[in-house]
Amino acid sequence: MELFAQTVVNGLLIGGVYVAIAVGFSLAFGVLHIIDFAVGEWVILGALVGWTLTEWLAVEPLFLLPLVAVGFSLLGWIIQPLIRRVVTGDRPLPVLMGLVFTFGLGILAQAVAFLVWGINRRSIASGLGGQAFELHVAGISLTIPVLRLVMFVFGMAVVAAVSTILRRTRYGAAVRAAAQNPVMAGLLGVNVDRIGRIVYAAYAAITGAAGMFIGMLFAISPEVGLQYTTFAFFTVVLAGMGYVPGVPVAGLALGLLQSLVATSRLGPRYVYLVVFLVLYLILLVSPRGILRRGWA
Amino acid sequence: MQSHARIRTLAIGVVILLLLATACAPGKPAAEKRDYFKVGVVTSLSGSLANGGNITKRGYDYWADTVNEQGGIEVNGQQYRVELVFADAKSDPAQAAAAAERLVVEEKVDFIFGPYSSSATMGAAPIIEKHKMPHITGSAESPSIWKEGFRYTFGTIPAANLMAPAAVKTLAATDPTVKTVYVVGIDDPFASAVAEAFRDTAEELGLEVLEYTLVPSGADLSPIVSKAKAAAPDAFLFGGHPENHIALMKASQELGFNPKAFLIHWGVETADFLSGAGDQAEYVWGTTPWMPNANYSDPLWGDTKAAVEGFNLRHGRRPDYTETASAATGVVFMEALKQIETDGPPLDEQEKEALVEALENVSVTTWFGPVSFERSGEFMHDNIGLTVLTLQIQDGNAVVIGPPDQQEVKPRYPAPPWDER
Repeated sequence: MELFAQTVVNGLLIGGVYVAIAVGFSLAFGVLHIIDFAVGEWVILGALVGWTLTEWLAVEPLFLLPLVAVGFSLLGWIIQPLIRRVVTGDRPLPVLMGLVFTFGLGILAQAVAFLVWGINRRSIASGLGGQAFELHVAGISLTIPVLRLVMFVFGMAVVAAVSTILRRTRYGAAVRAAAQNPVMAGLLGVNVDRIGRIVYAAYAAITGAAGMFIGMLFAISPEVGLQYTTFAFFTVVLAGMGYVPGVPVAGLALGLLQSLVATSRLGPRYVYLVVFLVLYLILLVSPRGILRRGWA
Repeated sequence: MQSHARIRTLAIGVVILLLLATACAPGKPAAEKRDYFKVGVVTSLSGSLANGGNITKRGYDYWADTVNEQGGIEVNGQQYRVELVFADAKSDPAQAAAAAERLVVEEKVDFIFGPYSSSATMGAAPIIEKHKMPHITGSAESPSIWKEGFRYTFGTIPAANLMAPAAVKTLAATDPTVKTVYVVGIDDPFASAVAEAFRDTAEELGLEVLEYTLVPSGADLSPIVSKAKAAAPDAFLFGGHPENHIALMKASQELGFNPKAFLIHWGVETADFLSGAGDQAEYVWGTTPWMPNANYSDPLWGDTKAAVEGFNLRHGRRPDYTETASAATGVVFMEALKQIETDGPPLDEQEKEALVEALENVSVTTWFGPVSFERSGEFMHDNIGLTVLTLQIQDGNAVVIGPPDQQEVKPRYPAPPWDER
């Protein structure tokens, strides 16, 4: 029973990792209609930049998160017009164009990471790394790793913030209008280009910061970006493409499933097989994601 | 209509010209003499194994540069420079096969240095076999390669099931004794072979194996660690790569999993693991066929010390065992070349056959240690000349704790609880 409860906790915390990586990705797709294939490279760059800053400044990496987020939002702000050029105008299949373009950006980012950081595996040393607290519930003792919990909270907080801004503020209404019908929104006085830049900057900031957490929890090197692109992609597909409130549901479901399969009689070897199978079945039944709210 | 007819005529003309050109091309050009040996290298320079691929590359480059600095390989009184031709295996067995094919057919290399990773080697070896090309791999440790009985493929690093047992034996001989072990491996040919060898050796030594399980690379290890913690083994044996080892140690401390010993197969002494895992690397056991403070003679560098110093000058650190084993492949080829009748590069088919026979009989001490290849059985053409060492991280450094006749210091066992370190 204790193992089962701990497995659930582990699964939810793995889910937190997925949520943090996927939320920005979902936002970028929902608003800008860009399937950013470079999302894994943003994660890796966030981790590597975070590693360098931590080594240089010799401070707790969690304090550097805002710095990384600001830096990455600037980068996103600069890059977004390039992507916009590719996906707008008189081009056929803009979503596909965006996908191909960001795929290229991802390769470029990986190459740059190789040049700057080389091929070594690195991990960011956080004071919270390895720390945990015990929770006693109904005679069961649960171990809660602090750093994973912080990442979980980070992911959930970002989802809450993004959803609230989109649903409850005037600015959010403008963003939704720009997403639904950019031409009409533009005619009504919404600065669509500016919104695009801000949203992409926010996406880059969120994903870069998530990367820093990844760097603290695991070992990273420039070549593992694709793995995180895959995680983000599956989470967002399961959540419903572009539907931000679906991300926590999908992320936690994937994390739980992974954790439960790994400790089941089936064994960890079949983790991804089961995850893919479930994903496939859900999409077969509900192509618009687990909550049926995403893009078809 | 007329323009269509003209285009058709033109197209037919082009086809005829192309056919003529093909027919007139010389059938097989006579192999021109070269004043250097062309050495093909199949290894992963991109993709998920790029890190390991570059480790082998550094070893091969070190050998080639040293040979050229010394004037070249001496064959029948004449010296020939060497040139390495790289072909990227892209971390994919199929690409490794294509890369090997290209080296043989297009580049017409004289012999081949093999890939990092067992999976890439398994892709390249059948192609190398087909073309009867002498091939030594500096880094492939899966036992499945040697079970195939390839005639043209050799390896300088002992197979995982030659290495892993040594460490488990050291573990089993500790006091207080280890009774139960928990074995986990990453699900790739190399790491799963390691885990299998851990399990089999533990069973042979009468230890109770509480669990044996494989995990896909990239999967989070926290569920596995929690399950192992519930089983409370004396020792946790893990087959994987440095990124997995780092993730394992992080998850173990987070979840308070504290067996008396963690034993990982390779990479415990690498800078990646020591800096990545930080304090968590302390007390971890590992295994290696070689340490930089070894003392072997070497026909090219003189001895281990000189070779390690040379490497240190190039890279600012000491080499790991894979870099060393890769550099040693070149030395082994040099020794074998001395044994055959040849008028220099390029080597023809007969000379390549003679080279393979010479490799089968070679017995040379390199800075990596003694190299001689098994001639048959499940380890056919793997290096069986080495003594495998058991390591432990003590005060941030890897020290030799076994076998007994090589022991530098006693193992620190059992490892203290996480909160008392």
